[in-house]
Amino acid sequence: MALQWMAMQSHAADNDGAVGDSPLLRTNALTKRYGSVVALDGLDLELQPGVVGLVGANGAGKSTLIKLLLGLLEPTGGSAEVLGFDTRRQGPELRQYVGYMPEHDCLPSDISATEFVSHMAQVSGLPAGAARERTAETLRHVGLFEERYREMRGYSTGMKQRVKLAQALVHDPRLMLLDEPTNGLDPRGRNDMLDLIQRIGSEFRVPIILSSHLLGEIERVCEHLVEIAGGRLVRSVPMSTLTRATGLLIVEVDGDVDRLSAHLSRQGLSVTRDGRVLLVSVDGDADRVHDKVRDAVVDLDLGLVRLEQSRLHLEDIFQTTVVDREAAGA
Amino acid sequence: MRLPVREAAGGSIYDLGYQHYLGPRLGRFHAVAAMYVHSLRGIFGIGRSLSSKIGPWLLLGASFLPALVQLGVASISSGDLELIRPEEYYTYIQIVLALFVAVVAPELAGRDQRSRTLSLYFSRAIVRDDYALAKYAALVTAMLCLTLGPQLVLFVGNGVALDDLGGYVENQWEDLPAAAASAILICLLFAGIGLAISAQTSRRAYSTIAIIATMVISSVVGITLVESIEGDAGRYGILVSPSNIAEGLTYWFFNAPPDPEEQLAKAHLWGGVYALTAVAISLLCLALVLRRYRTIQA
Repeated sequence: MALQWMAMQSHAADNDGAVGDSPLLRTNALTKRYGSVVALDGLDLELQPGVVGLVGANGAGKSTLIKLLLGLLEPTGGSAEVLGFDTRRQGPELRQYVGYMPEHDCLPSDISATEFVSHMAQVSGLPAGAARERTAETLRHVGLFEERYREMRGYSTGMKQRVKLAQALVHDPRLMLLDEPTNGLDPRGRNDMLDLIQRIGSEFRVPIILSSHLLGEIERVCEHLVEIAGGRLVRSVPMSTLTRATGLLIVEVDGDVDRLSAHLSRQGLSVTRDGRVLLVSVDGDADRVHDKVRDAVVDLDLGLVRLEQSRLHLEDIFQTTVVDREAAGA
Repeated sequence: MRLPVREAAGGSIYDLGYQHYLGPRLGRFHAVAAMYVHSLRGIFGIGRSLSSKIGPWLLLGASFLPALVQLGVASISSGDLELIRPEEYYTYIQIVLALFVAVVAPELAGRDQRSRTLSLYFSRAIVRDDYALAKYAALVTAMLCLTLGPQLVLFVGNGVALDDLGGYVENQWEDLPAAAASAILICLLFAGIGLAISAQTSRRAYSTIAIIATMVISSVVGITLVESIEGDAGRYGILVSPSNIAEGLTYWFFNAPPDPEEQLAKAHLWGGVYALTAVAISLLCLALVLRRYRTIQA
């Protein structure tokens, strides 16, 4: 797989001067204004290949950024380079290597998935034969089988989302831009879609930029997080630095929680109660704290239900950030 | 690479996993050509349901009717009787051509807007202008089947009816470039008008009505102008009507005089004016189509 990955990179490098070892994308003071409204304000961003989550409130500039990266919009100022192509001057060349899945419905109803996806592959530059072969393969990967020969008008939302994903993958892009790919799906469909995206990123090794307003999805799939607000970059960080351990131990017991809390406090531990669980801060020797908790539970004859390190979730971080900002603004 | 093996009834199935594409990427020109072919297939309903084939194929058939009638007459009279002459052919099928545009152009331009597929096209190896040009080229090509097709049948048929195809070709070969030139201009004109109207909306019914209304009203206005206004203004008034433009330029290319009873004869303009007007209106329509797709949100 690694070899193929490299081969593909060098193949693209042969094509029109795109550099194989350049970053996935690099923007330089990228700005987009609509009249007096600033949608994107001097964005400087550099990303390496991987699965990148793009988060931000509605109107934060996510869709504008995606369209600028596709070369669909002309920037008002600054520049963007994607896969080594200049988005302003090399749009059609760049877009041969990019797959885009819009948020909204975008499938014609009166032709079959096979015919449509194969046509889309050709408009991305693939020869007819290769387009047909890859269509069959890609539809199989996204889990569309006999129904692929039927008109798309009868498809369920889940099937349509799969076709939308397939048309973005069929030409073996070197970057996929997925805009709210789980929109309108039920929990199970959502789960399947996220599994697929994860597989495309980790197994197929196709770099992905995933825009979503659901932090849980981003956390599950992405390795890197980009947050924009009001057209500006808030942060661009690896996911691991965000969801780090918090230095708290979650303790849940079957029995009198307050007794345990008092007991642990007497042992010199800092304990706070959060509903049915206790949060014990771990500073210094973690093993010693674990041992003290265990001994306390045994001494008080309680049943231990849960003992685990607390990790931050994106939800916590964003809540804190919002609180911080509001505090700063007040 | 991962090669999981699944046991199946007849043996083993090897799941090769995801294969990267290492073949050529043919770029913008290939992408536009693919769009053109896809649009042309769509116009005739190829690869689509039966109901989307009915309209275009019926009209395609209708465009050949005058040619078949003439061939019937010619075969009975051994080629002596020329009921339908090539320079009059487009006059006979004008209604068919207008209906064809009114039926297929709204579908051609409206479908991608309705289903919001434009985002998928514009995010591929083409630019917005390419999209518009491919659609226009496809519609012009489809209309050439309805114009040049029957002319060829007429030409060959007349020759065969005379039992002297070689001699007929030798005498009448000049009909061929005249038929081709007039067909191309008429198709550019009609397709341009049809696409310029239907690109503006995703609603098929509106476009169809607007196209038919444009053709009918302009033709009535043209006739009225010629009839009622004295002098040059009235004479040039005939140029508001696409159908009169089509007739005028065809007579000019065939170097034949129009029927003295017709408005065309009354307007008495130099034939080249019709051809130039057709080119000018086509370019204007193309500009409208390009402008629409440059600004449409996708």
